[in-house]
Amino acid sequence: MAVIKKRYGATDGWINMPDGTVHYIFGFCDITDVPENEVFSYRGKATLLAPLLEVYEGDEIYLTLTNLGFPQRPDLDDTHTIHWHGFPNQISLWDGVPEASISVPVGRNFEYYYEPLDPGTYMYHCHFEPVEHIQMGMVGPLIVRPLIEKDPDYTGRKFAYNDISTEYDREAIIFVTEMDARPHHLVANVQVFDWTDYCPQYWMINGRAYPDTVKPPNDPSFPSQPYSAYIEGFTDEKVLLRFVNLGFENHSIQITGIPFKVIGLDAKQLKGLNGEDLSQWRNAVYVAPGQTVDAIITLPDAGKYILYNRSLQRNTNNGIPSGGMMTEINVLEV
Amino acid sequence: MAVINLWAKQGYMSTPDGQSIYFWGYSKGAAEPAQLPGPPIIVKQGEAVTINLTNNLPEPVSVFLPGQTGVKVGSQFVKPQYSGGNLISFVNYASSNGGTVSYTFTPTRPGTYIYESGTNPHKQVLLGLYGGIVVRPEDYDENTSRTAYGSGTDTEFDREYLIIFSEIDPSLHQAVIEGKPYMISKHHPRYWTMNGRCAPDTMLPDNAPYLPSQPYGAMVMAEPTEKVLIRYIGAGIDSHPLHPHGNHTRIIAMDGRLLKNGARDRSFKRFTVLVGPGQTYDQIFQWTGLGYTLDNPIPTIIPNRRNLGIGEAGWTMWSGSPYLGEKGEIPEGVVSFNEVGEYHFMLHSHSEPKITNWGAFPGGMMTMISIYPTGFLSPDVGVLSQPVGKE
Ligand SMILES: [Cu+2]
Ligand SMILES: [Cu+2]
Repeated sequence: MAVIKKRYGATDGWINMPDGTVHYIFGFCDITDVPENEVFSYRGKATLLAPLLEVYEGDEIYLTLTNLGFPQRPDLDDTHTIHWHGFPNQISLWDGVPEASISVPVGRNFEYYYEPLDPGTYMYHCHFEPVEHIQMGMVGPLIVRPLIEKDPDYTGRKFAYNDISTEYDREAIIFVTEMDARPHHLVANVQVFDWTDYCPQYWMINGRAYPDTVKPPNDPSFPSQPYSAYIEGFTDEKVLLRFVNLGFENHSIQITGIPFKVIGLDAKQLKGLNGEDLSQWRNAVYVAPGQTVDAIITLPDAGKYILYNRSLQRNTNNGIPSGGMMTEINVLEV
Repeated sequence: MAVINLWAKQGYMSTPDGQSIYFWGYSKGAAEPAQLPGPPIIVKQGEAVTINLTNNLPEPVSVFLPGQTGVKVGSQFVKPQYSGGNLISFVNYASSNGGTVSYTFTPTRPGTYIYESGTNPHKQVLLGLYGGIVVRPEDYDENTSRTAYGSGTDTEFDREYLIIFSEIDPSLHQAVIEGKPYMISKHHPRYWTMNGRCAPDTMLPDNAPYLPSQPYGAMVMAEPTEKVLIRYIGAGIDSHPLHPHGNHTRIIAMDGRLLKNGARDRSFKRFTVLVGPGQTYDQIFQWTGLGYTLDNPIPTIIPNRRNLGIGEAGWTMWSGSPYLGEKGEIPEGVVSFNEVGEYHFMLHSHSEPKITNWGAFPGGMMTMISIYPTGFLSPDVGVLSQPVGKE
């Protein structure tokens, strides 16, 4: 088992929407191995999504959270936490709930420890005033890989769970969130928002709205939105889609002409207690806030396929189609 | 024969931000206040039940029993009621200002169910006329066979909790006081409740004297490795993604139906359960944690407390120690509600605007699952019982 050491900074930043608008966010950035005297230069460099945390079951993870403060809002001395959403067997100190443990003040560090016991798709987020900090962007994906991949009999093969029926060729994260631009604007300008009036105008996959979702990872035109949602593969390949919802709405995702085989929900393989196969075929993946879904698609004939939100009003950017929670799958001939 | 007497009445409930909200609810006695939710009805599979309803409200009110079959009023099955050609009630009702009605039925299946008004339900259920029903399996015995669905169904439990969810749009309640029209299609909740309370009141004990109309807490208390049966009921008109920290729950039944086909186990584990309107979920939560003993194997170094945020709001539920059953130092000026070094894991809606009271966090649909050191909790914690009705 490996020992993994990571360090994340909590700070603020700005993101772009395809309609040219710019929005204030809170978030995390990866400062692992950054020399102490350079850490300060990461202030204001939060990304949406936060960095991917990727480990094997049984690994020991030490994650240091450093609160870098908000250069855009120096008056705001919010503390932050990391809540490892969906992880069993936590002791409450590392649960990231400030009301029941601790949080990290500006300029301070705290080391979280975890030993993930089960493979699957999870998420992490700040739990300080979570309605504000989650909406503002302190959210990231977390994948725990199964030990079966380390078994010499299966070298080089990929599995979602410790079961050969969950084998896949490629994987993609489909991390869905929404954004109501009003609180982002108000927070940037030191004003309050009534969260019960939440009503988003932007819908994102992996921190971007369509058509930005199909642009490559680390595209220089979105310095704070490093993730792509563009999927490419060959006919007959199996693609594992890891759905995570850290918005506040339920989302129903479809792909034109490609059904899903749902093999896992909330980081649990769909298996009965006595090993019964409970996987299910679906034409839509319906996922609520705080849930994750693992679904495998088999890529059909060559061509382009659209992955979109069946609540069709969410395929827009501030009211204008086509946009929002949508991306493309490009299937190539073998 | 179990006889349940209910009264439909008006009352006032309170929210933690100081609002007093007019509501309609069922009460358990002629002289008792309306309560939110109504008293739990706890009955046994196969035993006949009579529910007598007296209506003290200014319009017809009923008790509708989704999931129960063969419900009768007198010798007739209940049936929809019309007035001037308009459907006004799903079932027979008690007429306004003192009317009565008696329903009889025999629950055939164990499980968790809802009861609610079937009369003008778009108004009356939202105003608070709902409650929970627990049907015990035939072979249930509090001392020797505590199961949700009968022995041999793998549904044993040590403690159980009933948590009923709903939403409150104060403008509906105000419109009813003023006799003004209200468009249900414009429903816009500002409060979200667990057992009729908004956080942090959800964490107060049952029968807290300052919440006379909201007698039920929603705190889940257990000891490590205990099997905790959590019964969810969606009594509102929205769906709510409920997320427990600390562990997955194992969903053993939905809508009073055991998730089993013969020998085939269809139960499943989830860390977020989407509870829809009218749905019920029976789940078993078990906290089998690392960090259980004082010689904890987990490497922990707590930095200097001055370098940590503890109880920003002046209070914390933390013990000051990372270890179960141990208490540590809490900064001066911070009140700790921790009793004996127990852990508190949040249980909340992950649609986060719903954990506010009219926009202000913390609030709404949020509580804690509290894990106490072994041997601390008395056996009568987490025992559901029928509140005694009074004439
Ligand atoms: Cu934060
Ligand atoms: Cu979460």
